[in-house]
Amino acid sequence: MAEEKKKRTINRLKTMYPLRALVDGMYEKAVEASQAGKPVAWCMVNWWGGDVILRTMDVAAIYPEDYGAVCAAFGAAPDYLSRSDSDGFPTHMCGYARNCLGYAAKMQDLGEIPPRAPMKGMPKPTLLLGSGYFCDTRYKWFQALGRYMDAPLWVLEMPHPGVKESRQDGARARDINLLVAELRNFVAFVEKLLGKKMDWDRLGELVDDAIEMNRAWHEVNELRKAEPCPMHSRDFWSSMPASLYMAADPKVTAGLYRNMYDEVKSMAASRTGAIAEEKYRLAFAELPPWHSLGFFNQLAERGWNFVTESWAYHPPRPIDLSNISDPLERIANLTYQYFSGYFEDAFESKDWWGYFAHPYVEMVREYQCDGIVLHPLLTCRTATNHLMVVQDQLMKRLKVPSLIIEGDIVDLNLFDPMDALRKAETFEETMNHFRKVRADEGLLW
Amino acid sequence: MKPEALPYFAGIDLGSTMTKVVIIDEAGNICARVESHTGAEHRHLANRVMEQALKQADLLFDKITYVVATGYGRINVPFADRQMTELTCHARGVANLFPSVRTALDIGGQDAKGLKIKDGKLVDFVMNDKCAAGTGRFLEVIADTLGLRLEELGEISAKSKNRVKISNTCTVFAQQEITLRLSEGALLEDIIAGLHEAIASRAVGMLRRLKIEADVVFTGGVALNAGVVRAVKENLGLEVLVPEDPLISGALGAAFLGRELVRKALAEGKPLQRSKRRLSEATFFK
Amino acid sequence: MTEAGLSRAREIYQDRSRRARELRAEGKKVIGYLDIFPVLEMLTAMDLYPYRLLGDINEPVTKADACLPPVVCPFLRSVLDLGLKGRYDFLDGVAMAHGCEVGEKMAHIWQIYLNPTYAYYLDTPHTTHEAALKHHTELLRGFQSSLESFTGEKLSAERLEKAIKLHNKQRALVLELYNLRKPDPPLISGAETLQVMVSLMSLPAAEGNELLEQVINEVKQRKDGPAKQPARLLVWGSVMDNAALVEMIESTGANVVMDDTSTGSRAYFPTVEITADPLEGLAERYLAGLNSPRTFRETVLGESNRKDYMTDLENRFAYLRDYAAEWNVNGVILQALRYCDIHGYEVPGIKDYLDSIGLPCIYLEHDYSRAVLEQLRTRVQAFLEIIG
Repeated sequence: MAEEKKKRTINRLKTMYPLRALVDGMYEKAVEASQAGKPVAWCMVNWWGGDVILRTMDVAAIYPEDYGAVCAAFGAAPDYLSRSDSDGFPTHMCGYARNCLGYAAKMQDLGEIPPRAPMKGMPKPTLLLGSGYFCDTRYKWFQALGRYMDAPLWVLEMPHPGVKESRQDGARARDINLLVAELRNFVAFVEKLLGKKMDWDRLGELVDDAIEMNRAWHEVNELRKAEPCPMHSRDFWSSMPASLYMAADPKVTAGLYRNMYDEVKSMAASRTGAIAEEKYRLAFAELPPWHSLGFFNQLAERGWNFVTESWAYHPPRPIDLSNISDPLERIANLTYQYFSGYFEDAFESKDWWGYFAHPYVEMVREYQCDGIVLHPLLTCRTATNHLMVVQDQLMKRLKVPSLIIEGDIVDLNLFDPMDALRKAETFEETMNHFRKVRADEGLLW
Repeated sequence: MKPEALPYFAGIDLGSTMTKVVIIDEAGNICARVESHTGAEHRHLANRVMEQALKQADLLFDKITYVVATGYGRINVPFADRQMTELTCHARGVANLFPSVRTALDIGGQDAKGLKIKDGKLVDFVMNDKCAAGTGRFLEVIADTLGLRLEELGEISAKSKNRVKISNTCTVFAQQEITLRLSEGALLEDIIAGLHEAIASRAVGMLRRLKIEADVVFTGGVALNAGVVRAVKENLGLEVLVPEDPLISGALGAAFLGRELVRKALAEGKPLQRSKRRLSEATFFK
Repeated sequence: MTEAGLSRAREIYQDRSRRARELRAEGKKVIGYLDIFPVLEMLTAMDLYPYRLLGDINEPVTKADACLPPVVCPFLRSVLDLGLKGRYDFLDGVAMAHGCEVGEKMAHIWQIYLNPTYAYYLDTPHTTHEAALKHHTELLRGFQSSLESFTGEKLSAERLEKAIKLHNKQRALVLELYNLRKPDPPLISGAETLQVMVSLMSLPAAEGNELLEQVINEVKQRKDGPAKQPARLLVWGSVMDNAALVEMIESTGANVVMDDTSTGSRAYFPTVEITADPLEGLAERYLAGLNSPRTFRETVLGESNRKDYMTDLENRFAYLRDYAAEWNVNGVILQALRYCDIHGYEVPGIKDYLDSIGLPCIYLEHDYSRAVLEQLRTRVQAFLEIIG
């Protein structure tokens, strides 16, 4: 009885499961491809441009940063980490990177996928694709992999302007041009490497599918503004990788998101929440503790519904691409929109950190959150740098409080759920208090 | 220096826990060896321990041709002619005891060191002097918690059949974890074995930053603990040599390095800089 | 101000902002810049005096804790901390660039918390791809337009060329100074050199050139230079804005005769080619010309399109072999700040390279505090004992 009750604490969407399965299957597909002599790419998240190109050229893509989370969850990370340590990589760096470097070292030693590698492991790649958003690790890590493998590395430049600078005359066009040029050059690089030509028509189709996939996914998340919120962050995190990592044919993924839209819409219509009693609406930033997601069930029992989260994982805000016909330009605009979609709001609010930080101000307002849980990570600077500014801006502008719970991406001992639950209790009083403050100040919720 | 006088060389290793002095003769025979607890006043202690060694060797201080000081407190030995790091000195000392050594692991009271040795000389090293978890300190703290003496730990762990895994790498959290395990009914010998495994795996993890080659020597105060020695062997997957007296390799190496420096200076016809100080207490801290 | 040459450099090093405050009082505008990617010539050409933002190793970080988590570069935290404590209140604005990840974020944090009158963020690309270089030129046009709005003046090609020549002159003088480190013993110590470099970063270019000329003359004639040491070292790595580490190394028994950091040769050796459109030459130098590990240099492909690791290392690090040969270096200190990812990822590769050319090296990680430097002394000494 108690087990059943626990299972129902958060209403998991039925349509989430097939989406999650798509991502789980990624590794096996890559191993099969490799065994069949087909090319495999290790990629950093590249926000669809690189992915559509690889998929069109029939290259199986896998994402070592996701594999880092997998290894951590399966308890396989410590072995790889200690190998990376003894090879001289400083220990303060990205846990996913170090996990992968250690994995690659072992793979080089053995000449094959290490035994006991979780999820069938990651096969030796034909090429590496780095990318340019947010963190230096995105290319330095893959550059360091050269120690253990001879796969060539392409780094996709991604323009990273400031809020004000992005509004200068010609700035947007200039930035899109760079993205397009880089994608074109990446195509040339892959053509040369594989000795085959790009099928531009097929690429166009995949680009359209990727755009539709993101649109459908965006619409699903818009429904979460409903009260009570019909979809919990746990379902977001399970369903998101299918789009961020383009784990399968985007047409298929788009279809699954459309199914999810129907399910969530009907729940919203019948005012069914993701949890039994929504007492508090929460946001979460950034990477969740993948290995301890059951923790959210315990919070759900207290009435905490997580209604929005992890800006970096969200699909881009809608943008009209109807008058752009070139596929590379279309996808480049989508990627750029992902990065700069909140810039206009940030500019109006004079909030100069337009990505990662300002979006939470908008998200918390749109989703009417009572609080946000901030999760600083010891070895992921990128997901941690902005959290104090987020805390500050949310309090200054919206009178919404933050709860800070520490952890790490691979050292799972650092996250203490017991301690977090204790803090949660106190935080409820804080949230209650600021509800009153907001009411007094005439803020909407 | 009169050429017909028989030279003697002294090495003094002023560690944070123990101070060691070794005197050797020109042929490399050990004429004296003294070990004493450093305590807080190591500045004064250096003189006293040196005096004890001289007594043992039946020598006066002015018979000592060259003194090399090493260890944590090496700059506080005013009568030393030269100070060299414990890394260089331990390498030399270990190579003297085991000429076939290529890799040495030294776990002391406060730090742990890995040494790569080639032809008797230090060629590379790693150090852990920031974190107590891979050092003798770890054992000390836990032994204290359990009301045991350090010397007992090796024997107790030998009885273990079902080693407890201690997952915390931080000394403070490990203490808590051990207390928890005890309350759950874990056997003392299994806990101690787990403790030894924790310190060994940490130390070997550090050592792996060097290219580990046989022969491997394990020295330093913690090498007196047979339980840790066993655990280190297991973690390395290699045979491990342990000196009879793991504490003196630093002072021994220092003495030999002194001899080397003197021989080199004579061969090159260059004068060797010597300390002008006599064997008396450091006067700058009265 | 009766000091000149080395003693003037020492004076400025100890009280960096004095000249900037004086000039500000005379009506000159001062723009703070972070790292080596903001284009200094463009500031100088607009009659804005570029002043490098540095930290203070003697000031414990307190205020920055509220804006930046502790697990980031301690140098940047110190810079921000000084800003929040008003130590940079003499600036009229700041120009920052995408040097490294946290450096980029500093640009946003600085704007939010310090609200400067003028602030510009230059999104320097990360590769030397043709498209990236072209893009960089366009980015500089955006910077130009912003400077013109701020000053109300036009940045003509003539003004820019004049500034380029002035800064190139400084680079040539720095090289001349560094050449004085080639003899054995070097005529100027590593610590003294760093004091001169920090002074350059604190003065307008023309005054910096004057100081360099004085220092060069003085050093050429001095009789009280550093003593000869068996170890001649090159220090590579993270930004070093104070002489503490170099002093520790030199006092342990070495001459630091060369460096590869953003406060030394890395920042000052590459020159600008004057092109028809001067922004092109600047864009080239400030991306491809600057040899920093934050810039991804092409994977060098061997036959059959596979990457060859050793060739790739050679492509990235061969300049170190040249420095070692020219400055007669027999050991390399790899130093990096804790939490510095850019340099952290380089360490195994650069060690492999130095190993392959038979140059001994040691990696030291520190955290921008004097206490840790003392702890590192034993490692430095052991290294010297190995190579000695």
